[in-house]
Amino acid sequence: MSDTLSSSLTRRDFLSTSAKLGAFIAAAPYIARGADATGADQVNVAVIGCGEQGRILINAALKIPGVRFKAVCDIWPVNRNYAENILKKFGHDPKPFEDYRELLSTVKEIDAVIIATPDFKHAEHTVAALKAGKHVYCEKLMSNTIEGARSMVVAARETKKLLQLGHQRRSNPRYIHAKDKIVTGNRLLGRVTNITGEWHRAVSADLGFPAGKGLSEAKLAEYGYANMHEFRNWRWFKRYAGGPMSDLGAHQIDIYNWMLGVNPRSCMASGGVDYYKTHEWYDNAIAIFEYETKEGIVRATYNVLTTTSAGGGYHEYFMGDEGALKISENPKATKLYREARAPEWDEWTAKGVVAAPLSGEGAPPAVKPWEKVGVKKLAGPSKATVDVRETAALSAWDIPVTLDKAIHQPHLENFFDAVRKGTPLNCPGEAAFASAITILKINEAVAAQKTLTFAPGDFIA
Amino acid sequence: MNWPEFHHEAMATTFAILIADHPRDYARQAAASAFRELDRLESELSRYVESSDIARANRLAPGETMAIGDDALQCLLIAADVSLATYRAFDAAYASVRAPDQPDHAPLFTLDPASHTLTSHTARLHLDLGAVGKGYALDRMAAHLHEWDITTACLQSGGSTALALSAPAGHAGWPIGIGEGPNHRALSLTHVALSGSGIAVQGAHLIDPRTGAACPRTTRTWARARTAALSDALSTAFFVFSDEEIAAFCAAHPGIGGASAVSSTQLVTHGTLVPSL
Repeated sequence: MSDTLSSSLTRRDFLSTSAKLGAFIAAAPYIARGADATGADQVNVAVIGCGEQGRILINAALKIPGVRFKAVCDIWPVNRNYAENILKKFGHDPKPFEDYRELLSTVKEIDAVIIATPDFKHAEHTVAALKAGKHVYCEKLMSNTIEGARSMVVAARETKKLLQLGHQRRSNPRYIHAKDKIVTGNRLLGRVTNITGEWHRAVSADLGFPAGKGLSEAKLAEYGYANMHEFRNWRWFKRYAGGPMSDLGAHQIDIYNWMLGVNPRSCMASGGVDYYKTHEWYDNAIAIFEYETKEGIVRATYNVLTTTSAGGGYHEYFMGDEGALKISENPKATKLYREARAPEWDEWTAKGVVAAPLSGEGAPPAVKPWEKVGVKKLAGPSKATVDVRETAALSAWDIPVTLDKAIHQPHLENFFDAVRKGTPLNCPGEAAFASAITILKINEAVAAQKTLTFAPGDFIA
Repeated sequence: MNWPEFHHEAMATTFAILIADHPRDYARQAAASAFRELDRLESELSRYVESSDIARANRLAPGETMAIGDDALQCLLIAADVSLATYRAFDAAYASVRAPDQPDHAPLFTLDPASHTLTSHTARLHLDLGAVGKGYALDRMAAHLHEWDITTACLQSGGSTALALSAPAGHAGWPIGIGEGPNHRALSLTHVALSGSGIAVQGAHLIDPRTGAACPRTTRTWARARTAALSDALSTAFFVFSDEEIAAFCAAHPGIGGASAVSSTQLVTHGTLVPSL
C-alpha cells in the first residue's frame, strides 16, 4: 500500500471491496443531488495570501452561494498549492500567481479581492487592488503603521470601492444581539463602568517548514523577508507585524470601541519579551484605557499572554451597575449575570432577549422544584429560616442566539452583500482605522512607558 | 527505540505522534503542524463546536440543505459506507429522530459530493462522528506528515486507534499491543491501522443501532484496516456484531481484520489479524 493515505482513495478502495457484497449499490441512498443553492448573483473573487488565515477565509467563503474563486496568489508554492487544491475540490478553477501585480493585471473579471497577507503588506496589496477597481476584504490589523492604514482608507475613498476589514465579531449575530438588545438597546447592564478582556494562549514553538520547500534567499528578499524563519514567524517581528496586541487584542479592543460607540481618550500599557528568546515582539502585555462616554468614564483593561492558557482562552467582559456580559466567539465562554439590585429579567426572557439560566440547547434536563439546590426562601416561623448547605452558584443567563455558520462567514457575507446590493459594511475602513490607531498606540505606550492621550482627530484618517 | 513522541489534546482525548529517522527539531515542527491540522479538523467535525459543519447539520430543519466543507463531506461518506457495509451496526446518525411518516429504510440525510451539500430528511438529525472522526483525523495528519517527507511515523488517538506508517530503519514495523494480561499480544505493524472498542474505559454501554438496545458484549473488540477512519468505525461495528458476524464480515472483505476477547485468556481473530496473532 502507498504511504499516502488519501481519504478519497481509501473510500474508493473500500467501496470496491464492499461492492462484492452489494453494499456499493446500497450506498446510493446517501448520495443525491442537493437543492440548487446558486440563485445568488455571482461574485468573482481572488485571494492574495493563502496561509493559515487565508485558508480559513477560503473555506468560509466556499459556503457562501455565488462566490467563485478565479485566482489565488501566494509567494510560497506550499500555500498556493493548498488553495488551488481545495478550490478545485469545489469545482473552482483558480489561476495561480506568485506576484499580486500579475494577478491584478491579468485576471480582469475579478470583482473583489480577499487579502490575508502579513500585516506589513496589507496597505500595498489593498491600495493596489482598490486602484485596479476591485472591492477589498482585508484581514486585520489594517496595517502595522498608521501611514499604511491611512493610505488604505484614502484609496477606498478615492476609488469609491468597498473596503471591509476582518474584525469579524462585528458581524457575529451573537455580538450584534448583545450590542443592540442587551448593552445599548435595553440597557440590561445599566451604566457600563468597566471592561476587562483577555486572550491567553499557551506556549507554542516557532513554525518550521517542510524540508526542501523553503523559498530561496533571493525570492524572500524580493518580497521583503529577511529569511525563511522570519517569513514563517512574521507575527513576532516588528518589521512585518504589530505583535500580540495586533494579532489577538485587535479583535477584542475593536469590540470595546464598537460596543461603547466611542474611542478611548487615554492608554497606558506595559509589556516585555520575558519568555521567548527568538522573538522581537513582547510575549505578554497589559493595557489600561479610559473611555469618556455620555454616561461617564469607563475604565478598561486588556491582557494578552502567549505563555499560558490560564483562564480558558479569550473573552470580553462588560460590567455595569445592573449586570455584566461576558462574551466570546466561543459560546461556552459567553454568559450574562444580573446584579441583585437590578430589576428581574423575566420580561427579557419572555421577549427572547436573554435565555433563562440552564435553558436552551445543550442544557441539562429540567430540574424539578424539589430537586433544586440553593438557598431556600425564608419560610414561616415554624420552619428554618435558611437551609445551610454549599454556596449556591450565581445565576448565569445565556444569549439566545446561535452562530449557525463558520465564524468568519457572516463577515464575508456582509462584504459580498455590500458588493452585490449595497448593504452597509459592518467594518468599513474608517471604523477599522480607529481600532488600528488604538492598537498601535498601545505599542507606542509600551515603548514609551508612559500614559498616552488621544485627541478625537487621531482616529480620523 | 527512543523515538521522539509528541502529544496534543483534541477531540476530548490526547493524540500522539511518534516520528523516527528524522532530527528531533524537524520532527517537532512537523508534529506541531499536524496538530494544527487536527485542531482545524475538530472545528469542522465536532458536534460540540457550535459553528462546525456537524453541529450545523444537527440543527437543520427537515428538507433543509446546507453547504459543508470537504472534510465533513469525506468523513460522512466514509461513515455512510461503513454503515451500509455493516448493515447499520455502525451508524453515525443512529440517534436521529425520524419523522412519523418516514420509512425505516429511508436515509436520514443525503450528501451531494458535487456541490458539497448535505440535506436532512428527518425530524431531527443527530450526527455524531465520535467513532470515526478521530480515525479520519489520524489519516489526514498522516497525509500532512507526508507533505513534510515524513513516512516513518506512528500516530494514535487516545489509545483507541493506532496508525502505523513505514517502519523505522532497522525495524520490521511499529510495536503495537492489543489485549491485557494473558490476552496481551504484541504486533509489528506497517501501513495499517488498528482500533479497539470497549466499555472498560468510559464505562457506558454501547447501543446497537440496529435494535436500539444496549450491546450484550462486555469485552473488547479490535479492527484492522488500511486507514484509521475505517478501523475506527469498524471496531465500533465489531463491538456491536456477534463473533459470527465479525467472522463473516472479515471473510467478505479482504484487507479487514477483526479480533474479540471472548474470555480473559482467549482472543478470537479473523481476516488479516489471524496471521498477526
